[in-house]
Amino acid sequence: MTAFPAALLPLPVAIPLVICAAMLATAHFLPGRLPDILATLAALSVAVLCGAIAVHAADGPLVYWFGGWEPRDGVHLGIGFSVDEASGWVAAFIGLLYALTFVFAWGFFDRTHGHFHILMLLFLAAMVGFCFTRDMFNLFVWFEVMSVAAFALTAYHLAESSLAGAINFTVVNSLAGFLMLGGIGLIYAQTGTLDFEGIAAAVAQGGRDPVVAGAFCLVASALMIKGAIVPFQFWLADAHAVAPSPVSVIFSGAMVSLGLFGLAKVSAVVFGGSDQVRHALPALLIGLGSFTALLGGWMALLQRHLKRMLAFSTISHAGIMLTGLGALSVNGTGGMLVYVVGHGLVKGALFMIAGILLATQASIDEIALRGLGRGIWPAGIAMGLAGLLLCGLPLGVLDQGTRLVQGALAQQGHGIALAAGAIGAALTGAAVLRAAGRIFLGLGPDPGDEAGAPSEDEREKANRPLWLMLAPCCVLLALDVGVPAGLIEHALPRAASAFLHRPAVETLAEGPGWLPWISVVAALAGAGYGLFRRRLPALVVRPVSATQSAPTRALEVLHSGLIGDYVAWLGVGVAVVAGVLALA
Amino acid sequence: MSPNARIVLLALAGLVLLPGAAAVIAGLPAFGSTIAQYGERINAVAPEARHVANMVSAINFDLRGLDTLGEEFMLLAAITGTVVLLRGRRGEGNTERAMRRPGRAVIPRSEAVVLACRIAGPLTALFGLYVVLHATVTPGGGFQGGVILASGTLLIYLGEGYAGWRDAIRSHWLDALEGGGALLFALCGLAPMLTGAAFMQNILPLGTFRDLFSGGLMLVENLGVALAVTGGFTQLFLEFMEETREAREPEEPGEESA
Repeated sequence: MTAFPAALLPLPVAIPLVICAAMLATAHFLPGRLPDILATLAALSVAVLCGAIAVHAADGPLVYWFGGWEPRDGVHLGIGFSVDEASGWVAAFIGLLYALTFVFAWGFFDRTHGHFHILMLLFLAAMVGFCFTRDMFNLFVWFEVMSVAAFALTAYHLAESSLAGAINFTVVNSLAGFLMLGGIGLIYAQTGTLDFEGIAAAVAQGGRDPVVAGAFCLVASALMIKGAIVPFQFWLADAHAVAPSPVSVIFSGAMVSLGLFGLAKVSAVVFGGSDQVRHALPALLIGLGSFTALLGGWMALLQRHLKRMLAFSTISHAGIMLTGLGALSVNGTGGMLVYVVGHGLVKGALFMIAGILLATQASIDEIALRGLGRGIWPAGIAMGLAGLLLCGLPLGVLDQGTRLVQGALAQQGHGIALAAGAIGAALTGAAVLRAAGRIFLGLGPDPGDEAGAPSEDEREKANRPLWLMLAPCCVLLALDVGVPAGLIEHALPRAASAFLHRPAVETLAEGPGWLPWISVVAALAGAGYGLFRRRLPALVVRPVSATQSAPTRALEVLHSGLIGDYVAWLGVGVAVVAGVLALA
Repeated sequence: MSPNARIVLLALAGLVLLPGAAAVIAGLPAFGSTIAQYGERINAVAPEARHVANMVSAINFDLRGLDTLGEEFMLLAAITGTVVLLRGRRGEGNTERAMRRPGRAVIPRSEAVVLACRIAGPLTALFGLYVVLHATVTPGGGFQGGVILASGTLLIYLGEGYAGWRDAIRSHWLDALEGGGALLFALCGLAPMLTGAAFMQNILPLGTFRDLFSGGLMLVENLGVALAVTGGFTQLFLEFMEETREAREPEEPGEESA
């Protein structure tokens, strides 16, 4: 018999599964809008349940044993869920993001007998299971369900580009699945258990063990592939750019950061007892994270395909999250958890705006869209605000996460990572603000012949009124700005310590207050440079173009879209992780 | 990157990984030396606690039933995704004509094939049912049996031809079978919670060891998996088979892109 609050734990996973199975069974009899309504309600109920679970988990993690198989004599027989406060809130945020996405996609997929909703609900159930589980193999199962649902959703348009993007996504993420399964096999062979706590106890006793390090190398690489960390990041831009925009909202808002959430949990809870892993992590995560933040930001600035730009911006922000993780402190991980939510809210809103442009203006090309957004100016205001929030405007949840991550890095003296994060945020903000200025204000030079987009014609069905698409986007931004900072400040020290299984701390440090403003100013300057380059004196323009053209071309060559290249880089990435672990 | 550069890069990565891999392999427990503690405990506990002879079923449907639930829905996601991608352009209709390669003769089906299929079809179905039903006693179970049942339906195509096959197999029924089976499995998890037990706790009478009716709730879950797998795989065959038919209109635009 499980007592009340813990008995809620299976429901957020079971409810979407039951509803999607029922929807498939009755697919041909459901009247038009019913799948939309059912899916939205299911996602909302998941959000509410996870919120309730998180509230109850404030006093200590809730544990649930499936099938009533509680551990006997210290041996974990069945599968358990263990939910701490932070995991509960992250899951609640994911449920809410899905509910708003279903509203955004209202009627968008009505000719497919609810198949879109079935895949999305499976995707949701897998994400919640991924947040809640305390079993290594179960983690893998939800990881794979996420991937399989995501592959099909990416290719939904069936255009040539979306099939190519989906193939790259499928191959790279399937390799991630193999790596993870291999890692789980190793750790199971060595410790004889799959339960997080069981493995942690065995790892802590074992001393320096190459098998444990190998297992961590494989699992961490798999999760970093999901989290789009350089040099595993190539698939992300290809997939996000071609997926239908409601799906991109989920990819960028939840799936990518969930990979890093999983990495945080696995490295702190499961492998936290290994000295080797603990010594290797700061250098590895902060190094890769800083590099990712810069590379993603730079690539974002180079794009004219709006969704591809946002995809690279997600890579950059994933890098910033990873640096927070690399601080290995309650401060850094707490900041990263807040950052996950804040970034999901803002990036989800931005992908919705991209979807609005695809539906109402039938294009996604920044230059072709110049000035065409004037008729839908409310979306422009939202995009401007989101761009400012993205680069660090000191307001709202994303900013709070940024400052906590910066505080953790400043405490430990990681000046380079601090700078890389600020520059990465500024670059992505500059890209978004430049696009907003060009599309909604008609700024920048008249493109002339250049207006013809190099990519194939893209558009999405324009069957929804503007307010219906804009409302969920505004709700996301309002949540980011409106959630009282005091609440997070009050709950986070306790929640982040519980997440890391460490003794509670009193307060968390924040970074210097001037740093976000520098990012904002740099972003505005970057956007201005992009828009008014031709009017600036040659003295300013020439040195910039001279220094940036060679590295830019090299970066563009690297992002070739060829799957063979991506796999080679994946091998390099695994080798880097293994090398750092070996030297630690 | 040129293909050669790619291979050099991958080889360098492999070179770095090689010593690590060697150290890992050397550090692993020797081959066949021990059964993990977890496996030993399950072997000791399960036959008595669940009256089940087939340990694999006991692990799949009871001890680690949640994993199987996840895997079942992963299959559902894979099949739904395949259906969406294959059906996207051509829709759901039943097409009359097969694609033909010009110049290649159409050989009529031989009577021997028809006879063989008519004999083998029911036998395959029977064997599939046997494998499904004896999940808790002998190797096999809902997944394996479901695949056998689904391949039995392919014999209808082989023996009776496309039209006969499409008459016998209805896509709507397959959706209902697949979704209904998965729903049954998920409800097997939720139903025990109504009595105050845990999700997927085995609260049905356990039956007798080595009997067809042993394992309690596992039998119902197994049935759900069998239904879902049969429906899902047949759906998959049907959609791939449709790919070989001639499109009614030359080029329909993608559904969502217009």
